[in-house]
Amino acid sequence: MAPIRILLADDHNILRDGMRLLLERQPGFLVVGEAADGRETLQLAQDQHPDVVVMDIAMPNMNGIEATRRIVEKHPHIGVVILSMHHDESYVIRSLKAGARAYLLKDAVKAELILAIEAVVDGRSFFSPKVSRILQEDYFQALGRKDADDTYDLLTDREREILQMIAEGKTNKEVANTLNLSLYTVDTHRTHILQKLNLHSVPELILYAVRKGIIS
Amino acid sequence: MRQRPGVVLVAGFGGLLLIMAAAEAGALLFLNSLRHNDTALQARFLARNRTLERIRSNIYLSGTFVRDSLLAPELSGAQAQLTTLDGLRRDSESALNNYAAALEPEEAAPFQDLRSQIEAYWKVLDRTFAWTAEERDKYRYAFFYEELVPRRTSMLQIADRIEALNEEALRRGDVKLGDLFGRLQFGLLAMIALTLLGGATLAAFTIFHILRLEAEVQQRLKESVHSQASLQELSARLVRAQEEERRALSRELHDEAAQAFSAVLMEAENLLDLDPAPEVRAHLDSIRGVAEKGMNEIRNMALLLRPSMLDDFGLLPALEWQAREIGKRTGLRVQVTSEMSGELPEEHKTCVYRVVQEALNNCAQHAQASAAQVSVRHQAGQILLTVQDDGSGFDPERVRGLGLLGMEERARHLGGTFHIDSRPGRGTLLRVTLPLAAMFEPPKDSNRLAAREPLLDTAVVLNGGLADGPDSHSAG
Repeated sequence: MAPIRILLADDHNILRDGMRLLLERQPGFLVVGEAADGRETLQLAQDQHPDVVVMDIAMPNMNGIEATRRIVEKHPHIGVVILSMHHDESYVIRSLKAGARAYLLKDAVKAELILAIEAVVDGRSFFSPKVSRILQEDYFQALGRKDADDTYDLLTDREREILQMIAEGKTNKEVANTLNLSLYTVDTHRTHILQKLNLHSVPELILYAVRKGIIS
Repeated sequence: MRQRPGVVLVAGFGGLLLIMAAAEAGALLFLNSLRHNDTALQARFLARNRTLERIRSNIYLSGTFVRDSLLAPELSGAQAQLTTLDGLRRDSESALNNYAAALEPEEAAPFQDLRSQIEAYWKVLDRTFAWTAEERDKYRYAFFYEELVPRRTSMLQIADRIEALNEEALRRGDVKLGDLFGRLQFGLLAMIALTLLGGATLAAFTIFHILRLEAEVQQRLKESVHSQASLQELSARLVRAQEEERRALSRELHDEAAQAFSAVLMEAENLLDLDPAPEVRAHLDSIRGVAEKGMNEIRNMALLLRPSMLDDFGLLPALEWQAREIGKRTGLRVQVTSEMSGELPEEHKTCVYRVVQEALNNCAQHAQASAAQVSVRHQAGQILLTVQDDGSGFDPERVRGLGLLGMEERARHLGGTFHIDSRPGRGTLLRVTLPLAAMFEPPKDSNRLAAREPLLDTAVVLNGGLADGPDSHSAG
């Protein structure tokens, strides 16, 4: 099996060196490049064909969120793992909206980084437990603030099942196969779920699922 | 130095008044003495005239007596006539003495003449009484016409001369009085001129002094307005400098200090990967723990100094973060709503953020509020910010803490207004308006992440609304 090709984007040399050491000791992982700013990251993503980019947010010459948006737009198969100092939901949400599939805090232990990279390669999402917790806490706080009804109650059991699978990164086809449903049915369920939860895209659906604690 | 003009003014006005009073009193006294002199002069003239008349009439009377007694056919009652004559003589003597008491120098000679003639006259008269009857018959006509009448005429002429001299004295007295009156007039005129001059000088001095005072007051006022303005400018600059420093410090902490801990963490992980001895592993775990703690602390410190969202994503995300933070920390439920188009100028953004931060802290700490509403919106060329809570409220007239002053100061720096509507037990409504410049454009560097990437429209992504997210009840 071909190694997972990883591009590291961070403007701190020591951190990049540390990460490279840590990841290369891992069988099946290959660091194919290191970038110190957003533009360099775009260039290397183009040249080195990485499977995964581990991206910092605060970088000179284009920040990590914008770089993520451009990479995902141009190379949808590249999974982006955000590794940031920022642990506020405003950063997490904007990263996810830009197309990142994983969000780790920089106090993440090695195990988290490896799990995140593997998840992203599989097309799944991954969040530091801390990030999940922050998102969930904020969500419940927002609920408390608004006294809003929980839209999750509107979903049927089947829809909840499908919601979780989509959030975990499964394609419509995988869902259809697993549940023994037609592709068309799954697609209809998916549309209903998005409508009922007032969501517009898969990243939003993932975010929702994380907040609800459906996935972590 | 400051007191001298006052002293001069008091002395000047006092002096002027004294001079005027003295002049008037002097004039009155002078007039009084003039009138007195005039009366005395008249009285003296009349008295002397009367004395002269007395002398004259005595002479006439004595002449008439003598004539009658001489021409009488019998020498009878001579003794009685002698007595009468003697009375006339004594009266004349006393009148002469009276007159002599106050003799004008020029009168001395004629008066002496008169006196001696009168004395001689009496002596001549005395002689007639010693006459025998024959002698009387023989001499009486001759005596009367040759002796008595010429003597009488001569005496009366002298008396007339003296009267004329007396009249002359009166005239001279009148002239003297006239002179005195003229001097009084001159004196009064001089006094009036002096008073006018003094008054004019004093008025000039007073006007000059008042004008100088006015100019001084104007100058002071200008200086005070100027110094107030520069004080405000200084305070605004201090606030800006403080904010700039906070921003720099926050960024430095977040991007450098925290990252260093992150690197330590990473290196500890790497060492742990080498499967070290249990003792070393324990140390590495400890290092990891310390680094993680340090990193979190620095990160929180940076956020408290100035939340990175304010520069990275704009005002609303920063306000929402603030709302969440205070909610987590104190349980205060904060709802943020915003009706803003575009991002605000840097200073306005910071001002609104800091005011809200302070206001929410007050809500939680002092007002014991359970919920607060923050609203920011564009309205008629200005930003209207309100923060309302359901807390205990206070009396804004009496309570004026440093926090409130700071908020007010920030609003003032941007030409805005700051109002607090609160009453004990009624919650608090804070209202801030900030005028926006007419040519308002979204500032180029409003966004830190965008600022690092000025050619690309990152703001669209970073500031893009999340209208549908469960957290974004406050869609911008």
